[in-house]
Amino acid sequence: MSGAGEPATVSIPIHDHAATGKAPAATSSAVPAAAAAAPAPAAAVAPRKVGIPFFRRGDHHRGSRCLAFLDFILRIAAFGPALAAAIATGTSDETLSVFTQFFQFRARFDDFPAFLFFMVANAIVAGYLVLSLPFSAVLVLRPQTIGLRLLLLVCDMIMAALLTAAAAAAAAIVDLAHNGNLRANWVAICMQFHGFCQRTSGSVVASFLTVVILMFLVILASCSIRKR
Amino acid sequence: MEGKAAVTTSTEHGEASKTSARTVVIGSSRGGAASRALSVVDLILRVVAVVATVGSAIAMGTTNQTLPFFTQFLRFKAQYSDLPTLTLFVVANSVLAAYLVLSIPLSIVHIIRSRARYSRLVLIFLDSVTLALVTAAASASAAIVYLAHKGNVRANWFAICQQFDSFCDRISGSLIGSFAAMAVLLLLVLLSAAALARR
Repeated sequence: MSGAGEPATVSIPIHDHAATGKAPAATSSAVPAAAAAAPAPAAAVAPRKVGIPFFRRGDHHRGSRCLAFLDFILRIAAFGPALAAAIATGTSDETLSVFTQFFQFRARFDDFPAFLFFMVANAIVAGYLVLSLPFSAVLVLRPQTIGLRLLLLVCDMIMAALLTAAAAAAAAIVDLAHNGNLRANWVAICMQFHGFCQRTSGSVVASFLTVVILMFLVILASCSIRKR
Repeated sequence: MEGKAAVTTSTEHGEASKTSARTVVIGSSRGGAASRALSVVDLILRVVAVVATVGSAIAMGTTNQTLPFFTQFLRFKAQYSDLPTLTLFVVANSVLAAYLVLSIPLSIVHIIRSRARYSRLVLIFLDSVTLALVTAAASASAAIVYLAHKGNVRANWFAICQQFDSFCDRISGSLIGSFAAMAVLLLLVLLSAAALARR
């Protein structure tokens, strides 16, 4: 290990592994990377597209930046179904034109506490996804912040668990509404309330899609934490 | 060993290397003990979750209540298999118990070798998948149990707990163990992610 090379390595603020095998290799690539990183912020000021200065050849954060960009895109993709599910459940209100002595003739999501919980949880997750978009954008620009990634992973996990619980509860009620239960004498109400049933079934499916995307976001975040 | 060698050579060179030397020192001396403590906590939480899950599955699986009388409208026998959601609950809890028991050796390996990264990633992935499974099962059966307690006026769904009180008590109590296991699993995923970030 050359003594002249060590201070040059240290002066560049790149947090690399402590393993000695990486340090001599980093000295040779670190100096051109420093030269490339200096014009890169200057080039970002120029009127260009945002993505181009970051994916240069000398940028050795390219892998994490790709993952962070994918994270950003997936967040936007997850926001759509969550918001759609919340709105669809919130506006589900069906009044039958005919009424009998045994059934009430109006169904709203308010009548089922599981659907209320489902709508509230979807609204919370949709709001969280919107609020976490700036943090994800910061991660694209500065991929080396581990604390922010960890925070996003924790919050993503909590939101995924909440949304799974809400979607599963709503799915249980929807299944009961479709099939009924012979043993407990619970009648399938979907025979009467077609529109209400279709709307809530569709929003449960959309909500499960959001859960899958959120889980994928958690895996992605832990992959990029490991990669560093 | 390699970490220690890097520390000694880099602390020889000047004041500019102090920050990197400091981070290397923290990484090699205290980080090993901290992540080892995290792995021990991980193992303890896994054992707690196994106990909670097995208790929950057994409590739900052995429900069987026969009423001494019978009416024309209701059957007089209640089991967990009469409600498909509760069957899902028992199956999911059994799968979770089996997975937790099988992942205890992997957790022990993490205590011994703190530098294992790929296996921690695999563990995070499997943990989050089973977390989703058990959350879904526990939450769906919580919705059904709530319906059994309160009924629903609009849909004309009758609250069956008024007849089957012992069955109802049993299925309500077994939810507690499952939700505790879900919270423990969530904590396990967060612990694994924190241990992964310490490298």
